Amino acid sequence: MEYFLQQGLNALALGGTYALLGLGLAVVFSVLGLINFAHGELMTLTGYGIFYTLLMGVPYPLALLAGVLIAALAAVLMERIAFRPVRNASPTTMLLTSFAVSTILHILFQNLISARPKAIPVPDAIIGAVSVGSMQIGIIQLLSIAITAVSLLGLTLFLKKSLLGIAMRAAAEDFNVARLMGVNANMVISTAFAISGILAGIAGVLWLFQRGSVDPMMGFLPVLKAFIAVVLGGLGSLTGAVIGGFILGIIEVSLRAYLPDGMLAYRDAISLTLVILVLFFLPQGIVPRRESVR
Amino acid sequence: MAISAYIVPQATRSAIVMALALAVPCALIGLFGSNPMITTVTNFLIMLIAVSALGLFSGNSGILSFGHCAFMALGAQISATLTIPPALKKTAFPLLADPILQSQFGLVMALLASVLIVGLIAYLIGLAICRLNGSSATIATLGLLIIVESLIVAAQGFTRGNQAVYGIPKLATWPVALAFAIGTIVIARLYRDSRVGLLLRAARENHAAAQSIGIDIPAQRQVAWVASAMLSALAGALLAHFLTVFSAKQFYFDLAFAIIVMQVVGGLSSVAGSVAGAVLVTAAIEMLRRLENGIDFGLFQVPQIFGLTQIGLCLIVLAILYTRREGLMGFAEIDRFLPFLRKREELATEAAAPTQARPTGTLTLEKVSKAYGGLLAVAEVDLELRVGEVLGLIGPNGSGKTTLLGCIAGTHAPSGGRVRIDDIDITGHPAHEVARQGIGRTFQNIRLFAHMTAAENVMAALTQRWPQLGHAELVRRSRHLLDELKIADLAEREAGTLAYGQQRRLEIARALALEPRFLLLDEPAAGMNESETADLLGILGWLVKDRGLGLLVVDHDMQLIMRLCDRIAVLNKGQLIALGSAAEVQASRAVREAYLGRRHAEVIT
Repeated sequence: MEYFLQQGLNALALGGTYALLGLGLAVVFSVLGLINFAHGELMTLTGYGIFYTLLMGVPYPLALLAGVLIAALAAVLMERIAFRPVRNASPTTMLLTSFAVSTILHILFQNLISARPKAIPVPDAIIGAVSVGSMQIGIIQLLSIAITAVSLLGLTLFLKKSLLGIAMRAAAEDFNVARLMGVNANMVISTAFAISGILAGIAGVLWLFQRGSVDPMMGFLPVLKAFIAVVLGGLGSLTGAVIGGFILGIIEVSLRAYLPDGMLAYRDAISLTLVILVLFFLPQGIVPRRESVR
Repeated sequence: MAISAYIVPQATRSAIVMALALAVPCALIGLFGSNPMITTVTNFLIMLIAVSALGLFSGNSGILSFGHCAFMALGAQISATLTIPPALKKTAFPLLADPILQSQFGLVMALLASVLIVGLIAYLIGLAICRLNGSSATIATLGLLIIVESLIVAAQGFTRGNQAVYGIPKLATWPVALAFAIGTIVIARLYRDSRVGLLLRAARENHAAAQSIGIDIPAQRQVAWVASAMLSALAGALLAHFLTVFSAKQFYFDLAFAIIVMQVVGGLSSVAGSVAGAVLVTAAIEMLRRLENGIDFGLFQVPQIFGLTQIGLCLIVLAILYTRREGLMGFAEIDRFLPFLRKREELATEAAAPTQARPTGTLTLEKVSKAYGGLLAVAEVDLELRVGEVLGLIGPNGSGKTTLLGCIAGTHAPSGGRVRIDDIDITGHPAHEVARQGIGRTFQNIRLFAHMTAAENVMAALTQRWPQLGHAELVRRSRHLLDELKIADLAEREAGTLAYGQQRRLEIARALALEPRFLLLDEPAAGMNESETADLLGILGWLVKDRGLGLLVVDHDMQLIMRLCDRIAVLNKGQLIALGSAAEVQASRAVREAYLGRRHAEVIT
């Protein structure tokens, strides 16, 4: 039971990270129809941002904040420079553009910074564990869950209450109609990228807490998995992205916890196969997007 | 099924010309070139197989795939395992079963085995992936690539895991690569114009329209998916026999991306484009590789740049995407530039129009409802439409007309009630099955297969109604239908380039190719001027009187509705509030209230 609870918390922590990444992808996709491959590089940029600000002697919490802001800024710039020329192109064109941007950034990181990991110290205060009853719960896990919860709540409030948030939801439903209603397209798109950058940054911080180092490929694999989580949840749906993220987290943690040792190497293959199997039964994902045929 | 529906003369000529254009220079280099040149050409030919294979699926379906690289990896793995000498095998793959360890196959058997095994695997995966649309499908192929790579790495003992597979016999010489490359482009070119290729391209151009003419989209994708996976496996296996040493990570994102870049640079949907893309990108990669180790310009030196090739590919693809999105060839084949390939097929002597029995039957709606969450968009509507009758469906905006149409056509699943044709229940059947039951439709926003010719638009529908017809007969019948709608002279024009009224006619011709009993028309007169509307009235009248179809017409043009329709049904807020002749409906108080509001309706009465 205890083991189960502990694994449950692990699943929440990991799923939360995927949910944040997936949400960032979904915010952009719902507005633009763009699958942003370079989302992972935003995570990596957060890592390097923290690494260099720490090197400059900036206090730890401020360095984290700087890292997240760098990701947000980079996301907005990315849209301005690379994605605007293909804004109304086919999904394939946009996807390839973002893949190219992602690859270019990898290689720049490798050449300009280093192909090797750069260590980012994790403060002692969050390394330990607290005991609840007879359970040992990692502080990092708790922190991850708390940060995920706060981020999701913050984003929900923004989307429900603020004018810009409402405009974004309208744009996600039907961008053309939203524009006819006077919603400023550039504003909405920039905001979407800024939000996705912030979410990638937060996810990056959580990822760094677990790994303690940043390298050029840091964001690549988690974001690939987040893609899959987004498709599982239903491409285009924000709620779906969060649900998909948590489900993928649960699948991965359960496999890690219960798979026999000899099979552990297969866990990515198994979890992704499970997801594709779900898609066989729910091709539109868990929260399908409604499209009218006229 | 007639083989001639699969092998189209024009495509055959086009394929032969491409094959010659490829074979002559490659053979010359192979016979007289230096060793490095031969190596480059062999490598190019293998990549060409990979690109054409990808193009066969992605180009015709419009779904970008990273997964074909996974099939290459599997092909390489299987073929290598079968051909490595037994002595070497025991140390490399200790966990393999004895019969495999002790045997060694030749190239042909090994290729055959890789292609067949991968085909089977692709079939199973395709059952899931081919049901996904657009970006979802692409991401699933990405998942496939990760799955296969991680399986190969994890299964160390059966594979070499992370380490290099070595000792593979060098069997992929230039003549072998050339022969397979020619075979692949011929297959890809013939597929494109064949019946199955036509249907898949239609699905790529417009999903809903393809379903409306009866195309089972996942099934069509599956054909291309399996065929292209098998060709990818062939490319992978040949690459293994060309390199003689490879590791799993060589068949990962870098290779997948390089192949995609070749396809995108060459042209989104073109076999000739695949060839052009493979030539250009291979050349670029060769040059960049030489620069990668640093360049000495004498005065200054460019240091070694890690990943220069990748950056180069990225910049090439960005340049293409920013300036010429459809790639060099776009949707065109060499036929467009070489008129002699295009000579008109000898049409069978003008036979009489296919005799056609007047349709019979009644389309019945019983208490059909559609709810979205708490909102009832259509509420328990009862309607009947007989052949030879025109039923108008009108109502204020948002009254549920298009939704009701969708419930009949199968694009929406009704949440309650029944839809029948005579005694056949079609409630909630997918759109393509409804179409095959004899219900054609047109769309409010015209939906044609824009990058296909007018004739191809009609032919795609014809193949669904008459699967056994050969190509020549399809051409002949499509001409006949286009002629009936007075657009025969536009047969070879791309549908997307036609004028509005012509597009509307083409859409009707395409629907008629199904020989439907009933035709659903969603706002056919929207956006038309008076003379175009008069024109349309003529066509619709002809459909009913001469063809005997039953029409369900949704429109806001009251003149058209009143003049055309035998009976008129009025929807308001999802409910049927009136049904009867034009005069009866005009007299109905409920209808006035719905259109004008209660107060104004009273004033008029």
